[in-house]
Amino acid sequence: MNTVLILLPLVLTLLYSLATVPVLVWMERRIAALIQDRLGPNRCHINGIRLGGIIQSIADMMKLVFKEEFLPSHIKNRFYYLVAPSLAFMSAFLTFMVIPYADTLTINEQSYSMQALPTDLGVLWFLAFAGLGVYGIILGGWASHNKYAILGAIRASAQVIGYEVAMGLSLVSILITYGTISLNEMVSYQTQSFFIFPAWGLFIQPLASIIFIVTAFAETNRAPFDAAEGESEIVAGYHTEYGAMKFGLYFVAEYIAMAASGALIVTIFLGGYQLPYLNTSELINNFELILWGIIAFAIVTSLLFLRWMKQHNIFAMSGLDETKIYTTVVIGFTIFAILVMSYYALGFGDANEVGVMLLQFAVFTIKLFFLHFVFIWVRWTLPRFRYDQTQKLGWNILLPLSLANIFITAIVVVGVNYGN
Amino acid sequence: MGIKVVERHGNTFKEKIYLHAVFSGMKTTLKHFTANLRDASNLPTLCYPEQKPTDITPRYRGVHRLTHRKEDDSIACVACFMCATACPANCIEIVAADREDGRDEKMPQVFNIDLLECVFCGYCVEACPCDAIRMDSGIYSVIGECREDFIYNKAKLLSIQGISKEEFSLAK
Repeated sequence: MNTVLILLPLVLTLLYSLATVPVLVWMERRIAALIQDRLGPNRCHINGIRLGGIIQSIADMMKLVFKEEFLPSHIKNRFYYLVAPSLAFMSAFLTFMVIPYADTLTINEQSYSMQALPTDLGVLWFLAFAGLGVYGIILGGWASHNKYAILGAIRASAQVIGYEVAMGLSLVSILITYGTISLNEMVSYQTQSFFIFPAWGLFIQPLASIIFIVTAFAETNRAPFDAAEGESEIVAGYHTEYGAMKFGLYFVAEYIAMAASGALIVTIFLGGYQLPYLNTSELINNFELILWGIIAFAIVTSLLFLRWMKQHNIFAMSGLDETKIYTTVVIGFTIFAILVMSYYALGFGDANEVGVMLLQFAVFTIKLFFLHFVFIWVRWTLPRFRYDQTQKLGWNILLPLSLANIFITAIVVVGVNYGN
Repeated sequence: MGIKVVERHGNTFKEKIYLHAVFSGMKTTLKHFTANLRDASNLPTLCYPEQKPTDITPRYRGVHRLTHRKEDDSIACVACFMCATACPANCIEIVAADREDGRDEKMPQVFNIDLLECVFCGYCVEACPCDAIRMDSGIYSVIGECREDFIYNKAKLLSIQGISKEEFSLAK
């Protein structure tokens, strides 16, 4: 039990970063398709099971892994060329290590931190590794020995320098407000209420959250700030010379970086793993009531999902009967979950701490996937910024705004504390 | 000459902070997303092998066909080589022969079109003085297992049906 609880956050880090990548690629394609009035991937299947198209991204990954590892002969610095994508991948992956997935769990007076790396310096770790991720891009662009690659790398580095400043300064105003740099304490701060709103960073510090979200987009090289791989100008930017899984690592690194900054935005601005207004001890004390709520929610959502699937899964495939299998799985899982939850809700067993932990995982996951949706939604809405506009926005607008925000925040925080 | 004064955008404060335009754009895309998620049956996507296109008109340049004469259903082609001459891809092979039935002087003995060479430009149809070759078959996908399958001979070309109202050659 002890080992399991210590390893749990590590496993969750792997799940949230690596295992969500196929799902994210699938979400990207499906959401893009639906936004553009198309259908998206719906053909790829394993014996008739398509999982709504997720099999397509698994097939793509298989393709990238088994493709020939081509090494262009003009490349002199082979070591740097080969190490660059793994550097980008690794730093994106390590960024995730400090995100708290649930409140610190206390069982038998022993506490288990639900961060993969139990440190209070989470924000600094995030900034360090988010910055290092760009190093992989710069190294790849330089080692590729190709003018498009180096142009992409230069763009990426200049952009990150410009936006990292604004990102750091917007974080400073957040740190002043919360009075801590521990991500766990930030989350528990956000369980209070602010007038009638939950005291989320989004409501307390709207300006800082907008600046942070914009800079997070720029930091992960996502649209509309993806001038580093602007295919209309510089072929594919820094990964022009990369193929097979070396390209795949860059591709995965972009999604993991997106997931990591989404996770940090959730933690700092959207209340993290906590439900609004409720802190962990309140959750533990009222756990039965919450379970009944979840049971009702599960019934309603699975019924809605089944109705929706019956309407939309009309495309007959050879092999197994998809609709029937999904219906069985959904109904079976819902009944199983309801049985387990009502066992605890009726008071036969006592596992409130673990239950609250699972609930917090679920809340975190839902918020994280909402953030992923927003990232994808923005990508398929906004055209790419012109490169000089990107720089102008970063240095001329976001930087002064974040500086001004620090001053205002400091004055307000000092004033409020003085009054007390 | 009137001077048209074009209104300049992007100078007001509202436009300069981008956010208003960003959010209104996101609203539009979200509307599309939710509407399509709720009811995907309105999407114009064609699930191709199962659903066939319905908008193929007689003017669509599909696979060629050789037309027949209205009087006796014989071949309308007189082996004048106009189509083979006009063809930019050089994909039409004609061997002329004397015509025995007295309808005309010549007819093709061999008339092969190599569809792998053909660029479907329609010049042969334009060039034909007898309305003997047409591309109104409406066939948009040609399938074969070897290269020889794509060389359509005279019998094959004569057997293809058109989708236009005129079935026979209109030449007088």
